[in-house]
Amino acid sequence: MNWKRPGIAWLLAWAVAAGSGAAWLAQQRLQALHDTFTTNARVAHRLLSQQLVQHDAILATLSLLQPALGADALVNAGATGLSRLYPQVLGVAQRQADQHWPASWPEALSHLEQQSRTSGHAHMDASRLADGKLYVVQAGQPASYTLKLDLRATIPQGEWPYPASHSPVRIWLSQNGLDLVLQPGAADASASGWAWAVQKTLSSPSQVLELHERYKLHPRLLPWWSMLAWALACALVVAALRAAWQQRAARQRAEQLLQYGQIARLNTLGELAAGMAHELNQPLTAILSNSQAARRLLDDAEPRVDAARQAMQQAAEQAKRASAVIGRLRRLVERPDTATQPQAVPLAQAVTDALHLLEPELRQRQVQLQVQLHAPATPLPTAQADPIALQQILHNLLLNALQAMEAVPAAQRQLHIQYRQQGNDLLLTVQDNGPGIAPELRERLFTPFATTRAQGLGLGLTLSQGLAESMGGQLRLVDSPALRGACFELQLPATPSSSGSGSGPTSP
Amino acid sequence: MPMFESGDHQHSPLIHLVDDDQAVRDSLALLISTVGLRVQSWADPLVFAAQFDRQSIGAIVLDVRMPGVSGLALLGQLMEQGVDQPILMLTGHGTVDMCRRAFKGGAAEFLEKPVDDEVLLEALQTAVRQHVRLRAQTQADRAAQEHYAQLSPREREVLALIVQGLTNKEIGRALELSPRTVETHRANLFAKLEAPSLAWLIRRYAPLTEL
Repeated sequence: MNWKRPGIAWLLAWAVAAGSGAAWLAQQRLQALHDTFTTNARVAHRLLSQQLVQHDAILATLSLLQPALGADALVNAGATGLSRLYPQVLGVAQRQADQHWPASWPEALSHLEQQSRTSGHAHMDASRLADGKLYVVQAGQPASYTLKLDLRATIPQGEWPYPASHSPVRIWLSQNGLDLVLQPGAADASASGWAWAVQKTLSSPSQVLELHERYKLHPRLLPWWSMLAWALACALVVAALRAAWQQRAARQRAEQLLQYGQIARLNTLGELAAGMAHELNQPLTAILSNSQAARRLLDDAEPRVDAARQAMQQAAEQAKRASAVIGRLRRLVERPDTATQPQAVPLAQAVTDALHLLEPELRQRQVQLQVQLHAPATPLPTAQADPIALQQILHNLLLNALQAMEAVPAAQRQLHIQYRQQGNDLLLTVQDNGPGIAPELRERLFTPFATTRAQGLGLGLTLSQGLAESMGGQLRLVDSPALRGACFELQLPATPSSSGSGSGPTSP
Repeated sequence: MPMFESGDHQHSPLIHLVDDDQAVRDSLALLISTVGLRVQSWADPLVFAAQFDRQSIGAIVLDVRMPGVSGLALLGQLMEQGVDQPILMLTGHGTVDMCRRAFKGGAAEFLEKPVDDEVLLEALQTAVRQHVRLRAQTQADRAAQEHYAQLSPREREVLALIVQGLTNKEIGRALELSPRTVETHRANLFAKLEAPSLAWLIRRYAPLTEL
């Protein structure tokens, strides 16, 4: 038999349960992380957009109010008071019609100023984006203004959704092939592989910048401890199920073995009967034919006495042969060498075992069972018996009772088992409320082949009585005190030590 | 060869009795011999199958339970070999299934041991009568075939039409012969087939002309 297959099936069941549960846990965790990431990305985008829109507002105000700026404002925006409000503003430059933009500032500013004058709104120069610098110019009359911005400082520290020092998300701005990293993220945040990424354009009319956010995913993000705990829980459950299943299989196997044993016994009985029939039929045939031939020989017009005498002689010899066959059979069945020595058998246990074997039949027939075995305050009596023989007797009695009760409605089926001690004997009674034993059958109840059942051999009670007698006990039919069906009483000698207490329990 | 012969004349029917038990064999042989049937007893079914006289008129009694070969198996072999003696099966523990198999296998009768003399002897006599009739029938068939083989092709044509109930005139017309010639053929074939009457001729030879 292949024992590996069921083991693999259990392993597979565990793998499926543990795997699907762990996958669900991981999916939940990733979903939560993703939700946080997308929310944060949206928040960061909006905050940065707001900051950029403010630059437009500052420039619009400057070009409208046309304030005169000192020359040092080119270098130090702090003088204007702007950098107190807006830390990202590094400097402000003002250009009259006859002036130039600061020499260190990008040359493109003049050109952008022209565009601003045409369009009416500010324009940006992102050529120094890699250094974090952005220049935004607004044409005005008489003077035009330019803001020099430090984009790294645009992050509003108070509202920023990420912890600046150790956020795993990498955030950078890009424009025309130039990148500015605002937040480095985890060490490997820019490495290729499994990652979530968002790209959005910051929505300011003048400053067209792409915002990138990238979250590099890592196996350590998964809820490993929860997944491990789940797998262990699954293993425990599967192990428990497997144990229960194996127990059930073992029980079924035991029941099957029991059935096979019963069938084998029936087969043996059938073979025995066939063999016996053959062994006995041969001499019987010879006896019958010889005696009938003899009669015919004597009936002849000229009786052939000698031949007839010889035939009768033959018949007598064959009768002896038949007798010898039966003697041989008896010796075969008795087999004194296989009988076990009587031993102390707890009666209660024997009854429980016999009932256990017939439990399915009892349940199927809905028999109401009443067992009165324990007389209070006395030790459990043990019978001096051969346990196997006792089992056989009890099994036969219970089976007979069950079959007798098929004649009564299921609701009324009752089976009473009681015992009492009487001197040195134990008396056990099995009562049913079936139709009882017909008066004409009472006389020959214990003789072989007396049966009321179509399928029965009529050997059960004969055998049981023989077994009881071989143990120094008796089996008899008694009048049923409580129920109207049959009542059998099994008498067995009690084990000397247990009967020595003197005051035996009385019958309930 | 185990042999038990009895009976007054050598030409009375012969019963072959096959049973491994000597007491059974002897007692049944004695019983059967009381009604004047000859009995040949066999202890070994295989020796019996190899040596018994297949031409003899009579019947075979087979025990079902024998060492070497079972009675049912032997029954099958004998039927396969075309043995025409009726076969009676005898068993000590007959079941319905065994009975069915025996009859399906061609047994003439299925009897249970111990068997009552009336039943056994009645069954045997019925079987012997059957066998005698069967043998007579086969013999007659063989004779008819031999006679038929002696006819000329033309005579067979005429016979076929006679059997169909045609008159001499109609036969002449069908075969383009003169009624006189038909008359000659008719007389010849009556002589060759040793036919006592037209009815006998039709009954005996109608099957042959249809072949």
